[in-house]
Amino acid sequence: MKRELMDILACPMCKGTLQLDVTEEDENEVITGSLKCTQCPETYPINDGIPNLLPPDLRD
Amino acid sequence: MKEEEVRKTVREGYARIAEQGSSCCAPASSCCGGTDLGQNISRDIGYTQEELDAVPEGSNLGLGCGNPVALASLREGDTVLDLGSGAGFDCFLAANQVGEQGRVIGVDMTPEMLEKARESARRDGYENVEFRLGEIENIPVADNSVDVVISNCVINLSPDKRRVFTEAFRALKPGGRLMVSDIVLLKELPAFIANSIEGYIGCVSGALMRDEYLGGIKAAGFQDVKTIDETRFPFELMANDPTVAAVIETEGISPEQIEEVSGSVISIKVHAAKPNGTA
Repeated sequence: MKRELMDILACPMCKGTLQLDVTEEDENEVITGSLKCTQCPETYPINDGIPNLLPPDLRD
Repeated sequence: MKEEEVRKTVREGYARIAEQGSSCCAPASSCCGGTDLGQNISRDIGYTQEELDAVPEGSNLGLGCGNPVALASLREGDTVLDLGSGAGFDCFLAANQVGEQGRVIGVDMTPEMLEKARESARRDGYENVEFRLGEIENIPVADNSVDVVISNCVINLSPDKRRVFTEAFRALKPGGRLMVSDIVLLKELPAFIANSIEGYIGCVSGALMRDEYLGGIKAAGFQDVKTIDETRFPFELMANDPTVAAVIETEGISPEQIEEVSGSVISIKVHAAKPNGTA
């Protein structure tokens, strides 16, 4: 996931702004990390460069 | 059929397709064309050979029912959101069109599809395409943030289509465009297909009546809702789905029954706009 695309991302549940927490990043993008909603208690994982923004009940 | 059951079946069905590389190749089927079959289907539904050649190998699984990109007349610099992006075929076509200043975001709920898409993007060096695991009923995109929403034969799979249109409306900037192609019905399906959960994955059982579909787009707030094109959806394309083929075989469905279904299913291309001055 590229940092530039943060500005149009939103929490799928409450549409709040997401805050990026990076665990691993290469020269192009964030590989692992998480996206924490600033409005509701949800946090979404980023694995293998793909943010998992599925609602919590659909997340495996 | 419960919403959850539908979601689960759709996800599992498409995960299987992602792994097989095509919607074909069921034991009961003789087509087994792999990617070539995907290409043939895609040409039949309106993509040009140039377009097919211009996208990463493996991104075209032959699962679409129309060509929203050609319709969307995307402009350089546009931000495009693809609902149900699958292996990324339409995203890559869109990316070629919006150029370096533009960006394309594909949302899909099937991890296996997204991994395929991401791999293709990396391999072919697409810098302006990004994929997110997400649900089209809960789009993970900020309000008023995209210029164009595209979706190719996906919304029919949603158990809550009105909500998908409402979410697409929210994500679009005022003046933004919705360009979707989908499967709709001209008359109600016979019970043997309508009640088949397998038929859902082949895009048929979940389809709405045409007027209800267009009504859902208008109810979300869209204006200038126009049907650009309507084509009879060849039943062979549905039957290409292994699960549908299996239903036909196990239920002992007659050619007349197939013909009846075929006549009531069409693919439509719809264009709508979010009015200026709305947020």
